[in-house]
Amino acid sequence: MHIGHYISGVGHAGFIAALLFGGFAPTPEPFEVTEVAVITGDEFDRMVQAARPPQTATDVAMPAPPDDAQSDAPAPAQQDTPPATATPKVTQAPEAETPPPTPPAPTPEADVSDEPPRIAPPPQEQAVLAPPVSDRPVPRPVPRVAPEPVARPEPEAKPDPVQREEVVPDDALPPIPQDPQEATAPEEATTEIVTEATEKPSSAPTASLRPKTRPNLPAAVAETKPAPATPPATNQNAVNDALAAALGGGSASSAASGGDSPPTDGNGTAPSGPPMTAGDKDALRVSVQRCWNVGSLSAEAMRTTVTVLVEMGRDSKPIHATIRRLGYEGGNETSARQAFEAARRAIIRCGNDGFDLPAEKYEHWRELELVFNPEKMRIK
Amino acid sequence: MTPVKTLARLALTALVALATPPAAIAQDSGRLRLEITDAVIEPMPIAVPQFIAESAGASDMAARISQVVVDDLIGTGLFRQIPSDAFISQVTAFSSPVQYADWKAINAQALITGAVSTDANGLINVKFRLYDVFAGQELGDGLQFAGTQEGWRRMAHKVADAVYNRITGEGGYFDSRVVYVAEAGPKDQRQKRLGIMDYDGANVQYLTDSSAIVLAPRFSPTGDRILYTSYETGFPRIYVLDVASVGRRALPIPDGDMAFSPRFGPDGNTVVFSLTQGGNTDLWRMTVDGASPVRLTNAPSIETAPSFSPDGSRIVIESDRSGTPQLYVMDANGGEATRISFGQGRYGTPVWSPRGDLIAFTKQNKGRFHIGVMRVDGSEERLLTASFLDEGPTWSPNGRVIMFTRETQGAGGEARLYSVDSTGRNLKPVSTGGAASDPAWGPLQK
Repeated sequence: MHIGHYISGVGHAGFIAALLFGGFAPTPEPFEVTEVAVITGDEFDRMVQAARPPQTATDVAMPAPPDDAQSDAPAPAQQDTPPATATPKVTQAPEAETPPPTPPAPTPEADVSDEPPRIAPPPQEQAVLAPPVSDRPVPRPVPRVAPEPVARPEPEAKPDPVQREEVVPDDALPPIPQDPQEATAPEEATTEIVTEATEKPSSAPTASLRPKTRPNLPAAVAETKPAPATPPATNQNAVNDALAAALGGGSASSAASGGDSPPTDGNGTAPSGPPMTAGDKDALRVSVQRCWNVGSLSAEAMRTTVTVLVEMGRDSKPIHATIRRLGYEGGNETSARQAFEAARRAIIRCGNDGFDLPAEKYEHWRELELVFNPEKMRIK
Repeated sequence: MTPVKTLARLALTALVALATPPAAIAQDSGRLRLEITDAVIEPMPIAVPQFIAESAGASDMAARISQVVVDDLIGTGLFRQIPSDAFISQVTAFSSPVQYADWKAINAQALITGAVSTDANGLINVKFRLYDVFAGQELGDGLQFAGTQEGWRRMAHKVADAVYNRITGEGGYFDSRVVYVAEAGPKDQRQKRLGIMDYDGANVQYLTDSSAIVLAPRFSPTGDRILYTSYETGFPRIYVLDVASVGRRALPIPDGDMAFSPRFGPDGNTVVFSLTQGGNTDLWRMTVDGASPVRLTNAPSIETAPSFSPDGSRIVIESDRSGTPQLYVMDANGGEATRISFGQGRYGTPVWSPRGDLIAFTKQNKGRFHIGVMRVDGSEERLLTASFLDEGPTWSPNGRVIMFTRETQGAGGEARLYSVDSTGRNLKPVSTGGAASDPAWGPLQK
């Protein structure tokens, strides 16, 4: 073990001890107990007068500079240009005045008796009436800052539009001559002429592959649904109408009859105006289903979905004579008739006072195709 | 047009159709298309002014017939009568025009007008018309029935059946009868006899006396005969009773065997029943004359309560071959039975619906009895009732209503007949004038 280690260990231990037991840690200030004495006002004034700080003298004579030869300090090295050092000003310490002697505090005479004092028993608790509560003070009327409402300012005067006379073309004036423009040749699309003979053959396929045949249908189902009553028939007129509509023309049949008749419904007359929103449709749906009573329908009719067409008047009431059955699914003719009658009753009953439909969208709800599907009600 | 051009137009049409989505098609049609899927289920309000008496002395009959028609229709739970106080216009003549606006104003969706007349021979004529008020037109043509004064209730039932059929699209069930076991006396000494009545409890007649216990009467498909089980010999025997003459005869069963739970086949000549031989109960089939007995099952378990499908090709039975009574469907000529009930509890007394789509049954589960229905494959089981003891369902002729026995608890409890719609609605007691059990609904009368 080196001596340095001992020294280092002793040093560190001492440092730690100093940290632990030294005065580095803040220690609470001890309580100071001071004896006080009661003095009079004159005594206090005298004491304050004695403790008043002295007046600082401003006209103090400069002391003589110290003698360099008698100085113990080593002489500074010779320099080329000694720096100018400021001479400190020494002020003469004032003599402390002795405070005036404080008169001895009078010692009160002790009044001691051998008999212990009698302690009066505490008064018994007595119910005390609550002091009467004074009335809530009534606020005094305070004058309003602005007792009179401020008059509305006069509206700003708008400048009247200047009435301008309509500009009438003056036929009497001669037309302004236009500078003739010289005909210009169109710009050439390419810098050289490419003929078909020099065109490279396209790599695009010239014919598409024949589509694969459909997989075989599964085995025939035991229960086959009956065919709908009104299957969409495809005849020549329908084909012609569809073609005419697709090509942007009117109905082929109407064209054949002269083309003056307006396009009939269902042949591409899209309604104009704002479209029906989902809320509009829901409101109409709720209105109809509120009157659609299926309680008296047969089980077969409850399996029949019937589609009903109805034309509406501008008063949002259904035109009764126009209610007709477009078709049905499931069930038979008898059940379809029952289902249609229930649907018709629903339309007429709830449309008696008019449906809640937006008048500006009349073109959209002029014809309604309502599908009454009782599937959800079958299990209820 | 040349064929080539026609083909080209067809191809172009197909392309246009394929390229156009369905929604766009609906949009192009210019119609707003909505699907209504929610509805209300509530009785239809109908107005039935009292039928017009067209002859002297027919007013009382007209009032009674009108009331029966109303009772029939309202009793279904499908209709609600508008009180006559609310009528705005009065029907003074059968052929007077209908003021649809007046009936529409009181929300009458259907209007029934009728007239009754009697002649010198005592026959009465009843005619009626049915109107769809909101459509402003008549529903079907007017109908007229003629009969004796004793049969006035049947004529009223027939009017109600016709109205019911035109509005609901289903056949009626008002002109039908029910055979049942009328009970009397305390529970431990209960006297039982066969009774027959109109579907609504009117015109009760008793077919047997109370000397022997009778059970499980069953109507023939034509309603002219009744099969039932009697203990008059000490053993259960099956009897065939002629309703008109009340004559009866027993099916030929070997002595010592017990035969019970009979049921007619759809042809009216076949009877299927349970026969207990040597402690084992199996199903047998024979003609109603007692010929050609055929054993349908041969198992150590108990097979009973057979019921034919409407086409007569299959029967549904109750068997405990799986340990607890369950429902099975098997061929009417015998063979393997297929279990169709798989719910908790015990199933029994299955009855095939006249429509052929449902099977009604009794179910016992957790100490309570239920009347329920399920599809013939056992799916979509629905319990319609629940009580201390519900059992023995029977279908109305149109397959819409089920009548059954409900017995109350305790020593003073007694059995009563109840009916419920196959949807579970309109549960109500049937007026029988006393305790009754084991109902069997007959067909519509001719």
